[in-house]
Amino acid sequence: MSQTEIQSRKGASIRGTLSGQSLGLILGILPLVSFMGVFFFWPLWSVLWNSFQDNLGAFTLSNFQLALAEPYKTAFSNSISLGLISAITSAIPGAAIAYVIESRGGQRLRQFVASISGVLSTTGGVPLAFMFIAAYGAEGSATAVLRAFGIDIYSGNFTLYSLAGVIFVYSYFMVPTMVIVFSPAVHGIRREWHEAATNLGATNAQFWRRIGFPLLFPSFISSLLLLFAAAFSAYATARAMTSGSVALVPLMIGNLVDGNVINDQMNLGKALAMGMVFVSLVAMIPYLLIQRRASRWQ
Amino acid sequence: MFARLKALPLAFVLLISGVYVLLPIGSAAEFSLRQPATQDHGFKNYLWIFEQPEFAHYVGVSFALAAVASIILLALLVPTVVWLNLKGQKLRPFVDFITLMPLVIPVVALAIGAQNSLPEFAQTNQFILSFLYAVLAMPYAYRTLDTGLKAIPLKTISEAARGLGANWTVTIFRVISPVIRGTVLSALFMSLALSFGEFTITSLLHWDTFTTWVTVISQQNVMGAIALSVFSLAAIFIFLLLVGLLVKPATSQVTKEEE
Repeated sequence: MSQTEIQSRKGASIRGTLSGQSLGLILGILPLVSFMGVFFFWPLWSVLWNSFQDNLGAFTLSNFQLALAEPYKTAFSNSISLGLISAITSAIPGAAIAYVIESRGGQRLRQFVASISGVLSTTGGVPLAFMFIAAYGAEGSATAVLRAFGIDIYSGNFTLYSLAGVIFVYSYFMVPTMVIVFSPAVHGIRREWHEAATNLGATNAQFWRRIGFPLLFPSFISSLLLLFAAAFSAYATARAMTSGSVALVPLMIGNLVDGNVINDQMNLGKALAMGMVFVSLVAMIPYLLIQRRASRWQ
Repeated sequence: MFARLKALPLAFVLLISGVYVLLPIGSAAEFSLRQPATQDHGFKNYLWIFEQPEFAHYVGVSFALAAVASIILLALLVPTVVWLNLKGQKLRPFVDFITLMPLVIPVVALAIGAQNSLPEFAQTNQFILSFLYAVLAMPYAYRTLDTGLKAIPLKTISEAARGLGANWTVTIFRVISPVIRGTVLSALFMSLALSFGEFTITSLLHWDTFTTWVTVISQQNVMGAIALSVFSLAAIFIFLLLVGLLVKPATSQVTKEEE
């Protein structure tokens, strides 16, 4: 029985290259692929297509010319800075937390931190904005508690309704996201490697400089890119926090869609959306490549 | 002594993270209990929520949309992921890539695309949102299912069942279904929570659900909106945490998660 099974499987894997077998394989994923085609890829394709059309449907680049001029130029640079600053300020504490928990925490604690981070990473949107306004507003008790410990967040010219405020709020779900995506990399630095290096005469510093850091750095960068993409394209929290006082691309697109801002060129919003897709892809393609490489040793 | 010293960074990290996570929640909860008119604390803002006739209506609408989205998502993903684990190893990179894309492409772009391309009859039915929510929850649900199912030797147990004489129907319903139940439940709850809280697409396609209603009422009653936010965040926190702690993957072979 098992002999014949092995033989038949060998046969199957050889025949796997034949079209009949491949067709069967593809049928299994066809429902998912067609669903994504209709509700994801087709809508995006239509945006791309229309972004190169003028109001009468003729080919034009003018939507993109407009999208790269003021005030959208400033909005893109604001959104990119928001993404970068937000990613860096969340990635560093997130990586530190992931390292400490993974290297010193027990199995139970690691699981607990993983589930908490999972929950926190899905927060966001309007409720999160209101929670921070209540807690860290001028009248909030979190502000009062911090003040009692000698930290006055309003001593400078900080307000929650600015770029700095949005970055502060984003960190609430971005630091946990960093913990989730960076933990596997830290986990992959096996204790045995450290021991092996020590046995071969390496000092702790040498281990980190020559082995630990080079292994973790690509994962750190790829996690950073993921956070960048998340902060760059976030819409709900930013809208609730700033109510339009900070020029960000997603909010400007929203204003065009809602009809709050009228532009003669009806496809301008599509060109702006394509601009966002482009920036996100530039960030995410290296992310995917690095992840693939890192998964080899993790 | 040495062991103590080693635990010090851990204690420090746990303390700081604990304060960082809990301080805003606790503080917002306290804020939501303030009653400016009488200068004391009480449940007036919460009572106000329940007095709004729209409250029950929008919770119902959001829940119905989220439930349909989750059913669509699981009906698509569970068979596909089981299939990938059993037979379709070769197609895995392709499916990994497709299901990750909604995380890469900004939601605003998808919203414009949906508005631009979907036919009239789809745009005038609110349940179109369920299909789009399913797209947005796809990366998370797929990862959850895939990580959970990878930990189970599906191929071995299904071959064992088949070897013992079970046909495919029996194998799927009596062997595979019970072992993947925990993982499927986690994916279900995650997609419910994500869909319930979705704002961007909902608002850009001009539909009203629970989350968009919160922004509308914030203009009439800020305290009420804050109470509502605290209430919905706390409900989702507790819901997801309970699910995370109660629904364990079927086996404990998952020593490392793949993200």
